[in-house]
Amino acid sequence: MVIVLTAGLTATACCLLGPFLVLRRVALMGDAVSHAVLPGIVAAFLIFQTRAPLVVVLGAAVFAVVCVLAIEALRATGLVAGDAAIGLVFPALFALGVLGIHRYADDIHLDLDSTIYGEIAFAPFRTLDVAGLELVRSVVVMGIVSLVNLALVGLLWKELKVTSFDPEFARTIRIPPRVLSRLLLIAVAVTAVTAFESVGAILVVSLLIVPAAAAYLLTDRLIAMVVISVAIGWFSAIAGYAGAIRADASIAGAMGLSAAVVFAVALLASPRYGLIARSVRRARRRRAIAIALDPTTPEGAS
Amino acid sequence: MGWLIDLLPLPYTDAVVVLGAAVLGIAAGVLGALAVLPRRSLVGDALAHSALPGVAIAFLVTGAKDPASLLVGAGIAGLIGALMMVGIERTSRIRPDAAIGVVLSSFFSLGIVLLTYISGTGNSEQAGLETYLFGQAAGLLERDVAVMAGLAAGAIACVVVGFRPLKASIFDRAFAASIGLRVRVVELASTALLVVAIVIGLRSVGAILMVAMLIVPTVAARQLTNRLSRLLPLAGVIGGAVGATGALLSARAEVPTGPVIVLTGTVVVLAAVLLAPGRGVVWQASRRRGERRTARSNGVLIDLETALHAGPPPTAAELAMASARPARDVRRGLRDLGRAGLLEHDGERVRLSESGAAAAHTALEGRRLWSAWLEHGWRLDPGDAREPDPRDLRGSLGDDMVERLLAMDAAGRP
Repeated sequence: MVIVLTAGLTATACCLLGPFLVLRRVALMGDAVSHAVLPGIVAAFLIFQTRAPLVVVLGAAVFAVVCVLAIEALRATGLVAGDAAIGLVFPALFALGVLGIHRYADDIHLDLDSTIYGEIAFAPFRTLDVAGLELVRSVVVMGIVSLVNLALVGLLWKELKVTSFDPEFARTIRIPPRVLSRLLLIAVAVTAVTAFESVGAILVVSLLIVPAAAAYLLTDRLIAMVVISVAIGWFSAIAGYAGAIRADASIAGAMGLSAAVVFAVALLASPRYGLIARSVRRARRRRAIAIALDPTTPEGAS
Repeated sequence: MGWLIDLLPLPYTDAVVVLGAAVLGIAAGVLGALAVLPRRSLVGDALAHSALPGVAIAFLVTGAKDPASLLVGAGIAGLIGALMMVGIERTSRIRPDAAIGVVLSSFFSLGIVLLTYISGTGNSEQAGLETYLFGQAAGLLERDVAVMAGLAAGAIACVVVGFRPLKASIFDRAFAASIGLRVRVVELASTALLVVAIVIGLRSVGAILMVAMLIVPTVAARQLTNRLSRLLPLAGVIGGAVGATGALLSARAEVPTGPVIVLTGTVVVLAAVLLAPGRGVVWQASRRRGERRTARSNGVLIDLETALHAGPPPTAAELAMASARPARDVRRGLRDLGRAGLLEHDGERVRLSESGAAAAHTALEGRRLWSAWLEHGWRLDPGDAREPDPRDLRGSLGDDMVERLLAMDAAGRP
């Protein structure tokens, strides 16, 4: 139950931001950030000799911001296309992290598995004492992050919307698109970093992209897209957990997989943009044309 | 293969790794261009991640950790991932970046589920399957390198044979389709070649670092040339050099090979982006500084000419007062003009030298032409394909057009 709650809250945090990433065509930023934070985690460990979550998250957040800014700087030179800039920066940072682990942290327990795969299964066992109440840490943390993201999206709704769809227009009405996009990416970085610790990187990447992409197939309205994507996130969390228990498989993997299934269903069966609906429409149109062109139909019948 | 290894003045195992890294770099360099140039750099990311379920399924089917079958599994899964990516993009409103992300995370989730399932079956062979993701160049055998070299040679040969259709579909899909090329077939073929490159790299540098290996050589080579026929071999050379250098460095320092190769590549890209002749950031900055300085000198020259026209030769301070530009700019402009020998000093006062007068005349004429262009340029219709270049109006428009412009300007003045 705690696991589902953690995953659901993570899904809420991620799916609030995901639609904006998909609309701005920077869906892969989450993936980039998730790899780029590794040196931050290692450095935090090396400097403070602790795996205390707050320190690790801070170190990771620093490198997430470094990653975002480096990509922007590389893009701003005009010499490197945006996608190539992403693909240059995050492997470099990741490589730095792997080297750091090898060089200084080999003998301690800081393996790639726990940063890349994460362990949502252990979430219930990490607790936190708040005013005498024993609370599950990841639930508290992800709850806070969700609220922060909700506040961010709610307060800057108009600004995020206009800069996502028409940055030029936004500029003319004095809403700076670059500031907004930087803010969004930093929110993504912070969300991703805090969520890794609770659910693992790959699930975060899935939750940032897949529900939003599925929602994009289902609606044309931004508000609906955000709501649907959060709903898909929760559904994936619940369905994935049930599936993982039944098949005795990785919980995070199963949740990611359920999100993928939802996307596949949306791709096929979305009422407006789905493959089935489109092929039905096409067939109907073809029939209408055939009837209209048929010389045997009486004049004016169709 | 053996003689090449003997040729390198290195211990046998190091020589094998260096050679393997060089082969990987060459292949990734040439084939990566097929993804980077059409702005689909991160396809490699998705393909590399999609390899995980392929590895897992191959292991499930064969029940053993046989490198060849695992790589075949990785290749097939990568190809399926690529097809789904193209399919999602083509049949729906999902954009390429989101399609890549969806395929990447779905396949990777599937891979993790399969891996946990495999470890649940208690097959003792399963340990270390995930090294296929993180890579382990140190474990390369001479036989592996030979296989990699064979694959790379085959893939590069395909690129050479299919150069023209590939070029057309990379740069202009619509044009390629209009001359009767089967663009989809070409794109599929180039994706398949990418999969080959990734399969070559998975073992040695791992999935995530492979992303960089595909992008680094092309981005670096792109700074040095504008021609595809030069870019491809150059990217191959850069990739090979990066691979070999990185492998050598890592052997020296006894650290993992993959990350060192990638960091070497990052340094190379940064150097190329900063220093590329005529294009790099440093060059752009120095050119911009030069242009700014010329503009400043010209402005001061005109100011001085105007002042001389109106009265006695001014001092630097008087000129600064009369000029619309900041005093500091006037001082610096005068300094630059003096160095160029365009000024004559008369105590504190400044005059134009003979060459200075000529230069001022040219500058004035240029300014007049420019304002004429701004005011009347829209009425100019050369009737041919001449493109005005604001930096050199006379050169780009031709003398006849310039005369017409000046005539219009003269007619417009009282």
